[in-house]
Amino acid sequence: MGNPDNKAPDKVTDDKDLIYTYNRELFYHFDREKGFTQAVHYQNPDNQVIIKQSWDAAEQRLEEVKQLVLIGKASPVAYYMEKILMEVPMLAAYMEISKWRVKRHMKPGVFKKIKPEILARYAEIFEISVDQLRKPDFIK
Amino acid sequence: METTKTIINYTHRQAGHCESGATSNLFKFNGLELSEPMAFGIGNGLYFSYIPFLKIQFAPMISFRNLPNTVFKRSTEYMGIEATVVKKIKDPKEAMEMLDRNLERGIPTGCQVGVFQLTFFPPEYRMHYNMHNLVVFGKEGNMYHISDTVMEHPQLLSYDDLLRVRYAKGAFAPQGKMYWINHPVDRPIDLKPAIIKGIKKTVYEMIGIPFPLIGVKGLRWMARDIKKWPKKHGEDKAAFYLGQILRMAEDFGTGGAGFRYIYGAFLKEAGEMFNNHQELLEASDMMGRTANKWREFTYIGARNCKNRSKPEEDYGTLSQKLLEIAADEENVYKKLKNLKF
Repeated sequence: MGNPDNKAPDKVTDDKDLIYTYNRELFYHFDREKGFTQAVHYQNPDNQVIIKQSWDAAEQRLEEVKQLVLIGKASPVAYYMEKILMEVPMLAAYMEISKWRVKRHMKPGVFKKIKPEILARYAEIFEISVDQLRKPDFIK
Repeated sequence: METTKTIINYTHRQAGHCESGATSNLFKFNGLELSEPMAFGIGNGLYFSYIPFLKIQFAPMISFRNLPNTVFKRSTEYMGIEATVVKKIKDPKEAMEMLDRNLERGIPTGCQVGVFQLTFFPPEYRMHYNMHNLVVFGKEGNMYHISDTVMEHPQLLSYDDLLRVRYAKGAFAPQGKMYWINHPVDRPIDLKPAIIKGIKKTVYEMIGIPFPLIGVKGLRWMARDIKKWPKKHGEDKAAFYLGQILRMAEDFGTGGAGFRYIYGAFLKEAGEMFNNHQELLEASDMMGRTANKWREFTYIGARNCKNRSKPEEDYGTLSQKLLEIAADEENVYKKLKNLKF
């Protein structure tokens, strides 16, 4: 494990290795000679990979839900919820209805019978039109 | 329509952690130079909890920091500075009006927000995370001037966008929470009693709470669990969980390595304030080395996640390293516990 006692294992990197360069952040560093210092730089490439991994996982979850919608095992509510990275308790909080009802709305059979005003609220939260909610564009 | 314009002469300084940065900047505005590490240390920013049965964004809940608003509330309280925290405002319009009234009175105001809809925030961080803090210091027509210490520069946010992030929903929803320092600090403040109170409380929270998932105990629990992840959840999920620990430790608003650097810097400054208090300075050095070990851990972990098929270190070794870190941290807190000032 190197020699963490004396030297911070930080390295200055080429920006070309980086995935995310929107904003430089302030980081603290420590080494026994210089003590604590601050530096403003991009997140290091290794950590950027981790951030990307987390987005990749979200994309994969979305793809899985999409397949479920296509085979009629889940409703578009499930798809759009995943698309805006939400989970049931959070969506229920935005909808101001019970988690139990949100879960039911994810069943295709129940989804078909949702009242228009509830559907409109979902569409508003998902930032799409009611038509898009009824029929996501990946359904032919 | 007439445009109103109020911009308070507020200095935006970037910081490692959103809340201690906001707190430190608010102090500076009110005439008291207090560094970010000082605000963080006195206000008990340091923490650890591991709640495996609560899943946040599909991974066990891990926190390296205290609950939102702890830093602001405790630092002002311990230093005896009059401040206001409005925890919950039911009506969003009312919350925006309160903010406007503050700005008109020249009071820069801290707000808790969610980052998912925070338009200027780095896109890679825009997940549903509700414990973020920013300071509003001006209004021009429909646009608010914002100091967000994650960002290099001050930002602008529209009325609707600000209202939306102040009323993000889900875990730790901000519910319009806002806070400010009531008036400029008009008397000399002796930081020493506040430092002592702050250290005592953090020591208690890290080694004194009789609950196995908080503080050093929680860290050990997590270390033991990590070893079981690949078998229990499979390689992919284990890597995802590990990735979440690393993100909590190194991503926005930690100053790196799960706030341990900021705390070390606080101990250093505190040591100097107590006439180069030998033991405080030693504790600061120990914390700095622990922080480096954390960073070493996150680097190895990150590379492991990257090359999932042939990891450099297995989860057993990672677990061992965390146990080492836990022991190191425990030594720091024990040392701090026995300090005589």
